[in-house]
Amino acid sequence: MKFLTNIVPVTIPLPSLAVVMVFGLAAAARAQTDRVLVPSGSFHSVMPEVKGEAVPVDSFYLDITAVTNEKFAEFTDQNENWRPDEVPAVFTNKGYLKHWQEEGHKPDYERIGRERPVTNVSWFAANAYCQWSGGRLPTLNEWEYSAQLMDFDSSEAVSEFTAKLVSWYSSVDTNNLGEVGSTGIETRVGVKDQFGLIMEWVQDFKPPVSDDLSLDCGTVGRMQQLGNAYSYAASIRYITRMSYNPKSSIGTMGFRCAYDIGPKLESNEP
Amino acid sequence: MKTLPIILIFLFGGTYLYAQHHHAADNELEAGKINAGHSLYHLDAPWTTHRDETVKLSDFRGSPIIVVMFYGNCREVCPILIQDTWRLYNRVDTSRRETVKVLAITFDTENDTPEVLREYANYEQLDIPGWHFMTSEDATVRSLAMMLGVQYSKKSDGHFAHTNLVTVLDEEGKIARRVEGLNQPMEEAAAVIDSMNKEEKL
Repeated sequence: MKFLTNIVPVTIPLPSLAVVMVFGLAAAARAQTDRVLVPSGSFHSVMPEVKGEAVPVDSFYLDITAVTNEKFAEFTDQNENWRPDEVPAVFTNKGYLKHWQEEGHKPDYERIGRERPVTNVSWFAANAYCQWSGGRLPTLNEWEYSAQLMDFDSSEAVSEFTAKLVSWYSSVDTNNLGEVGSTGIETRVGVKDQFGLIMEWVQDFKPPVSDDLSLDCGTVGRMQQLGNAYSYAASIRYITRMSYNPKSSIGTMGFRCAYDIGPKLESNEP
Repeated sequence: MKTLPIILIFLFGGTYLYAQHHHAADNELEAGKINAGHSLYHLDAPWTTHRDETVKLSDFRGSPIIVVMFYGNCREVCPILIQDTWRLYNRVDTSRRETVKVLAITFDTENDTPEVLREYANYEQLDIPGWHFMTSEDATVRSLAMMLGVQYSKKSDGHFAHTNLVTVLDEEGKIARRVEGLNQPMEEAAAVIDSMNKEEKL
């Protein structure tokens, strides 16, 4: 296992374009500067399909950062039924975009920041945004897999990283979120802020859980047996996700979008 | 490590009820407004049925609806789930049954094309009026599942882990009854449908 001395990944300047070029013109045509390719691989999930086995994940594109207030405002501009004063109750609760104030038409950027991640968005809103932007929400496995693609130089660095996460999860200040990209936490392919900024929606945030793996307090103990840098953060995320419902619109929760690679499989039409 | 207090910070769900909520898209609908804020008709996305028809949920306005989510390659659990749905349908008062719509919606948007769904309906002998086997985009299927409270995840072998749930919607598209689990009694759910206003036919 490789380790990095510093959590701040100044040594990981891998440009997304270079990664994409390997995959030829078709993929390059789809490439955008705000997303990167997350290559296929596998990871040890706290909810494995088969106990002890890694979960395989196919390649996909992922937004480098979480969706910002400004980007989400473009979406509500073009989709009036997602404005706070228009959205049906079936899709959100009353916390939806409450930090925008101003009757929900335009966010007060002076106060909330253009480049801060949008929060107070329900799963339905996040899902609709990603659909509108030509993508989709990442699956739980895709998100967690991407989050673990970090390099550490030493076990000390791992401990330091873990300690930092613990302090972050203990003290998220929803009124003073940093801007996207501000955490200095970045995976080896260039995905930023999967830790240290906000919680993020995933497509299947509440997966079916088998009876022998209830996500409760005991799960934390089990996950810590994973013994890696991510186990604490993972345990918090898995348990917290189970407590949400898809209408939850809360100050700690935002999202980023994922995108499929190339065209989907052809249908089986004769 | 003391982790649980932190979790509470993230917790404030809370439902928010309000009726008569105006909805921008309502203006486009000539058949009438979606009156209920909690109506599933707000999911304004197209579906394709096993008859290759394109429909929206709001097309079924005025009818009691039974919704079940399944997938075609599911050989053990789903036939039971479909059978459960049939038992509910069959328990509805005969004078009422023809107004009931059954929507069987697949998780497997990749494999369950309209053709595959048609074969499935034939195989189950359920290619009958009022029954619609439907597919859509992933994000739409996922949205409906979230609205119903159906959890599902695709596994690496192509199968799906999923909640077994049969849901009754009222004529406005609101959830009226949920029957969770396989082989459940259907009397109460059928009574809910029987009690719905018989004048509101599609």
